[in-house]
Amino acid sequence: MLLKDWQLAFEAFLLEEDPNANPTLSESLISGPTLDVGTGLAIYHNAYKARLLDVLRNDFPTSLHWLGDEEFDRLAMAYIYRYPSAHFSLRWLGKGFEGFVREHLVPEQSAPLAELIALEWAFTLAFDAPAAEPLTIEAMAALAPEEWPELRVRAVPSMQRLECRFNSLSLWRSVKEEAQFPESAPIEIPQICLIWRNQLICSYRSLDSAEASALMGILNGGWNFAELCAELAVTYGEGAPLQAVTWLKQWIQDGLLERLQR
Amino acid sequence: MSASFPFLGYGLGLRSAYYQQILEQSPDVDWFEVVSENFMVQGGKALYYLDAFAERYPLVMHGVSLSIGGPHALDPDYLKQLKQLAERVRPAWISDHLCWSRGNAHQLHDLLPLPYTEESLVHIAARVMQVQDILQRPLVLENVSSYVRGASDEFTEWEFLALLSHVSGCELLLDVNNVYVSSRNHGFDPWDFISSLPVDKVRQLHLAGHSDYGDYVIDTHDHPVSDPVWALYQRTLEHFGPVATLLERDDHFPPFEALLDELQTARQLGNKVLARRQPCS
Repeated sequence: MLLKDWQLAFEAFLLEEDPNANPTLSESLISGPTLDVGTGLAIYHNAYKARLLDVLRNDFPTSLHWLGDEEFDRLAMAYIYRYPSAHFSLRWLGKGFEGFVREHLVPEQSAPLAELIALEWAFTLAFDAPAAEPLTIEAMAALAPEEWPELRVRAVPSMQRLECRFNSLSLWRSVKEEAQFPESAPIEIPQICLIWRNQLICSYRSLDSAEASALMGILNGGWNFAELCAELAVTYGEGAPLQAVTWLKQWIQDGLLERLQR
Repeated sequence: MSASFPFLGYGLGLRSAYYQQILEQSPDVDWFEVVSENFMVQGGKALYYLDAFAERYPLVMHGVSLSIGGPHALDPDYLKQLKQLAERVRPAWISDHLCWSRGNAHQLHDLLPLPYTEESLVHIAARVMQVQDILQRPLVLENVSSYVRGASDEFTEWEFLALLSHVSGCELLLDVNNVYVSSRNHGFDPWDFISSLPVDKVRQLHLAGHSDYGDYVIDTHDHPVSDPVWALYQRTLEHFGPVATLLERDDHFPPFEALLDELQTARQLGNKVLARRQPCS
């Protein structure tokens, strides 16, 4: 058998749920004194499953806690067999897990779980995103008055934004804090959850819809400070600049913003 | 006979479980080996620690995803990231494994065995040379533990390693534990393996633990080094002279002090052998 054909047979064997190798692959191998070919191949088959499962268990600890070992492993293995790893680094193995859960389960089952998976994945993305040079309160204080109206900002590269319709954040927090695990439940008013990294520490915060749309306005709508005040004036009237400064200060203290140079 | 490479001394595999302790305690470890893929990220803690360790210790890069024997073309994105990381780390050398880890379409994330045939030799030698051209340095390749063996093998594993190194110019990372594991699984004399390798090509040694199931042995890297492997290690140094030695642990992490004690054992055994050997070398 050519090298390439032999490797394709080996790959097919590893990617099959059934650990019985095809006869051609088995016949191409020889046993050791006390290690037969079937056991030798099973060692590779088990190692492949165990290694990949371990990665998903580590990347999605809250989902694992919620589902329990057996159910999580079943779901994770179904994902691995449906979408074998495409990236050389196991760091990216869980990239499609949320999408898989949404297509694999009926929506009533999948919606809260997929949201939780997305939340856990967002933390992994923030964890090793490129470093940022966030705006600081000191830098803002040093701005000349004429620079304020034109001030434009962007999100730090680690910032992830997730719309939460369930109490996923409470589930996540309870595992992190080793506290009582709450029942999964929808929340009355969907919230925007931000996840980002400031220096080396990951942070998260829920925003109500007014703050979220103001932040998205400056990040996605490209509003400068003057435009933000104008947008807020619809709701806040004369209090708009004060509200704008309050939020801006909060976002800067959070380490969420970088200055966009003109 | 004597190895021709600078002797880095006795090192440890750098694992995240110990990052903070290493930074705080600056332990007496001669050098560290980092798993290249763990640092192929854009930011965050891993790179922060990497830069801090690179300031304090000599580092060596050890990869698991090159797939030098794979059926596919070498991954240009992987090689680009490997080269970028090498520019950041400035490692003493760069190693990976004599194996394949990526199939035709998917990543298999394991160090899979190769048939030791002329076809494999030609295929792999050309790829080693391609990698060396990109990295602008010799590639160091490690022998892996294996659990099956090709029925059509034309060479033993040690003949294959020696030939590959001769043809391609690659250097060798001799994992003493892997030799022991494979020797038990396939029924050969581990000393036949070790003593057949070209002395001037062995750049580094690995030591690690395994799980012994009686009928077979699995390279789990989650136990202390076993007595037969210590014995083989001493005989290896006797034969090769000073070769940079690295202790690996990948799971069931003991307290850091226990790992340092185990490294101290390697140092004491190694230095004793080397002192005894010195007068006649």
